[in-house]
Amino acid sequence: MKLFKLWRYPSSWSVFRSDDRLLLILIAVIVGSCSGLAALALNRSLIAMFEWLHHLRGYWWAFLIPAAGAALSAVFLEKFVKEAAGHGVPEVIYSVSRYGGLLRMRSSFSRIISSCLTIGSGGSAGPEAPVVMSGAAIGSNIARFFALNDRQRVTLVGCGAAGAISSIFNAPIAGLVFTVEVILGEWSAVNIIPIAIASVAGTELSRLLQGNQIAFEHVRFHIAFIDIVACIGLAVLCAGTSVALTRLLKRMGRTAGAVTAPLWLKAAGGGCVVGLIGMVMPEVLGEGYHYIQDMIGGTFSTGLGFVALAVIAKMAATAFTLGWGGSGGIFAPCLVIGSLTGLVFHRALVVIWPQVDWVAEGCFALLGMAGLVSGMLQAPLTAIFLVVEISGGYEVILPLILVSAVSTALCHTLEPASYYLKELVERGHLLRPGTDARVLTDLSISELLETDCICVRQDMVLRDFIRILKQSHRNHFPVEDSQTGRFLGMIHLDDLRPHLFNPAIYDAVFLDQIMDRSVLTVNLDDDVSEVLRQMDVYNLFSMPVVSNGKYVGMVSKATFLDKYRKELMVQSNQ
Amino acid sequence: MNKQLFHIFRNTPLGRETFLQSLYFCSMTGVVPVVYIPEHTKFLMYFENDVVQIDLDESYLTGPETAERHAVELLEASGIKPLFLRPKHFTASTLPDIKTDFDFMCCPRSISDLSSKIGLGYIGPRVRRIVQSARFPVLLTSPVYKTWNSITIFFGGAQNAVNAFKLGLRISRKSGLPIDLFTRIESGNAETYRKALEKAGLKKELAENVRDWHFFDEGRFEDNLYEVPHDALVVLGAYGHGLIRDFVFGNKMERIQSTISNNMLIAGPKYTVNL
Amino acid sequence: MKLELDEIARCLNLPTSTLDRWIRQGRIPVQKSGANCSFDAQLLKRWADSRNLPFALPAETGKSTAADKAPETLLTAMQRGGLHTGLAGTDAPMILREAASRVPGFAAPEKEELYETLLEREALTSTGMGKGVAIPHPRTPLTTTLEKPMIVTCYPQSPVDFKAIDARPVFVLFLLLSTSVKIHLHLLSKLAFCIRDNEFVGFLKTAPPADRLFSKFIELESRLEKSEIL
Repeated sequence: MKLFKLWRYPSSWSVFRSDDRLLLILIAVIVGSCSGLAALALNRSLIAMFEWLHHLRGYWWAFLIPAAGAALSAVFLEKFVKEAAGHGVPEVIYSVSRYGGLLRMRSSFSRIISSCLTIGSGGSAGPEAPVVMSGAAIGSNIARFFALNDRQRVTLVGCGAAGAISSIFNAPIAGLVFTVEVILGEWSAVNIIPIAIASVAGTELSRLLQGNQIAFEHVRFHIAFIDIVACIGLAVLCAGTSVALTRLLKRMGRTAGAVTAPLWLKAAGGGCVVGLIGMVMPEVLGEGYHYIQDMIGGTFSTGLGFVALAVIAKMAATAFTLGWGGSGGIFAPCLVIGSLTGLVFHRALVVIWPQVDWVAEGCFALLGMAGLVSGMLQAPLTAIFLVVEISGGYEVILPLILVSAVSTALCHTLEPASYYLKELVERGHLLRPGTDARVLTDLSISELLETDCICVRQDMVLRDFIRILKQSHRNHFPVEDSQTGRFLGMIHLDDLRPHLFNPAIYDAVFLDQIMDRSVLTVNLDDDVSEVLRQMDVYNLFSMPVVSNGKYVGMVSKATFLDKYRKELMVQSNQ
Repeated sequence: MNKQLFHIFRNTPLGRETFLQSLYFCSMTGVVPVVYIPEHTKFLMYFENDVVQIDLDESYLTGPETAERHAVELLEASGIKPLFLRPKHFTASTLPDIKTDFDFMCCPRSISDLSSKIGLGYIGPRVRRIVQSARFPVLLTSPVYKTWNSITIFFGGAQNAVNAFKLGLRISRKSGLPIDLFTRIESGNAETYRKALEKAGLKKELAENVRDWHFFDEGRFEDNLYEVPHDALVVLGAYGHGLIRDFVFGNKMERIQSTISNNMLIAGPKYTVNL
Repeated sequence: MKLELDEIARCLNLPTSTLDRWIRQGRIPVQKSGANCSFDAQLLKRWADSRNLPFALPAETGKSTAADKAPETLLTAMQRGGLHTGLAGTDAPMILREAASRVPGFAAPEKEELYETLLEREALTSTGMGKGVAIPHPRTPLTTTLEKPMIVTCYPQSPVDFKAIDARPVFVLFLLLSTSVKIHLHLLSKLAFCIRDNEFVGFLKTAPPADRLFSKFIELESRLEKSEIL
């Protein structure tokens, strides 16, 4: 039994004790493969569902299909799996920030099924975010199985996410960069190796089962200098579209939240609208990858007005799907809207300056994709690597970098936090390691507690107090009730100093009369940052900590500096 | 610093019984109750190596307007100052995070199922997971409020059982009630178990505080349980470690739990106590 | 190496909860199972050094400064210094030189050095406390030449003018030699309290022999402790 037990706890094996990198790499392979499998499963089921429902699109009631899918997915999440839907990627980042990457087991499969229902029936959402969530949950639970600590678990969560993205796009670098840029937020050597291995594992699995194909066929583009200049304009347009999309989604979410109706009904309602839009313009339904292929190849339906309308329609469809309770991500819609934006820009250019020999519109479609992804997610590296890998074309790299960088920079000025991180930043849940917010969250009042203040009773006279003063090391003395032991107030030596050497009053003054009753106190479970703010506002250097009416210790800025430095050194010196 | 007991308040007559039982435990052991009145049916508890989602029965949300008042009334009747827990962080808008650094937690036999199952001896899987991951002992209350006048510790010889003994000893010291030990002999004889306690350095405590030590080596386990006093607080350690042992642990716990209706205090494998 | 959690916390001079949290977060190379932890001593030392954290194994922290925890008493100091009578001299410097030469356990150069520093202190302000008692002492505590503090009691042949506060000539000197400022203050305040007692000063004037003097001090000190003034 002992051997069996030992197998479950590899982190305690002596070979891994000093350096757990090898252990993480080995487990990363497992995690990468599992999450790759999950991603593939979703991909295949989406294709299957799409084909199965295809012949039904001709009927007049076809607009109800997305409604039914969205409603089913909402019911599945709410009643079946009982998973109060957090929003996928932000939930992963929240858990990584606060709880060392602990994710519920049910998240590993629930999102896949629900998003399959939503997207397969025509909802305008992306399968990437659910797959990232599943991969992350798989990584987290495998870490739990092997009883690993927080740091190792976070790495494995990253491995899961990377494996999933790499598998779904057949793009290992994009998976690695996405994880490190968006989910983990820190580029540390300890993390990158296992995550890279997991990306490779996921990609390899996908190639094994699906063959080594890039997502979009490679088309050669000949880019001239004038095109590169035009890219800046494209970047601006993409930035604008990103911001518009973000705001639209938030507004829609708020509107849907204000409506009181059962969740499945709301989802169905949103699905209906999507279905109706889809009847007029079928390009907005589903993830839309085949349409992207058309756009790159230059065979998309012609007409400037048409594409402009398509952009708006797709944005609306995405907002209605996701805002009203459908399950999915915004990655794929970003790609579609991005390509459409690229097309709009190109066709507008052709109209305004027809004499210039612009590059084929497919190129702008690619650049538009990158522009929108880097704008929405504010992750330019992910966008660059993703587009390069899924289109197989390295020659667009120059304008690609330009568009991504400019788009991100512009979006950042308008929306300081990306779509995923916005809510987290607002609630103060984005805690990257080695930052001030993280250190303050990790420290707790009980770790800062100093217990060397001597307590006095309120019925003591000054003479007794002076005797105690001789043995003390601090300038503050908490006063406790002589019968109940409750905290009553504080004696500050500064106030007493002028009178300490006047023997005449030694027996005439009770501590009860001179103590400060209105002193601000701290609770044991208060936030350290909140306590510091109070100290700043009221100009205090130390405060007493009172728990359940009894004095337990002091917190002071002096000790705080010492602990803060230690914590920061340990956190940043991994 | 005062020790805290986490209690999820259900604003129904059945919930009142459970709450009164918690309050009795607190007043006997000098622990402070922290009450959570749920506003959502689910919440998450993030432990060191596990995250447990608790899905509460709908009945936990009855009468939100009167819940706090009722709770305060019951607390004041026991002479305890009301202390409520309001969650600060949310994983999702309807999914609060509850902190896990309490010293005790009170659960009814099963948190998530119908009230009818409470009487039938069923430890829900959630409660089991809490016991496995938590650093605090879990108090499983009896279906109706009844006082306890002695402490019965089930000693099985393993390390967890020693922890359970120390826990029972602490409670006995705080409340001043006597301790009885119960051992079902599985290997060796009575001496083996005595030696186990002595090896843990508890020989003196064994001699001074334990009133009676009952050893059982024949008959069905359930029949032996008749000897447990009906008005005792039962303390035992959970043996959960590996997968296989989990399976075994579930069965033994279920057997005890479905046969006697005493209040039970279960110390999980992560619980450590210093005397 | 296997230790308990709070022992390791003591070695690192950290609160137990911080150490526990670092183990859970994987920031410190220590493995935990229950309340026992295991770690590699070399590895942990390197880890602590790279982060500027103090780390001392229990064997080293064990020998704490328990030795000098007990406060020095007047009696032991006086017994070490001894009682000396018949010092020759007509003014303060001569008496001080005599006193310095009587200090037991000091070699000649050390006595010379002591005399110099006594003069320095005397030059700042007189050490005559009044009522005919003086408490000369070196300007800074003798940390290198002295192992334990001592009070050398000296009676000059005839009273000498020390330019004391009350201008009375001094008939007894308590040469106060301490190893640290803390001990110096401690002994000085005790002595000063004793001298406040006029009856005691009168007793001193009678130039009692060593054993009676010491037993008188024992009595005074126990009275001081009982009244909790010091």
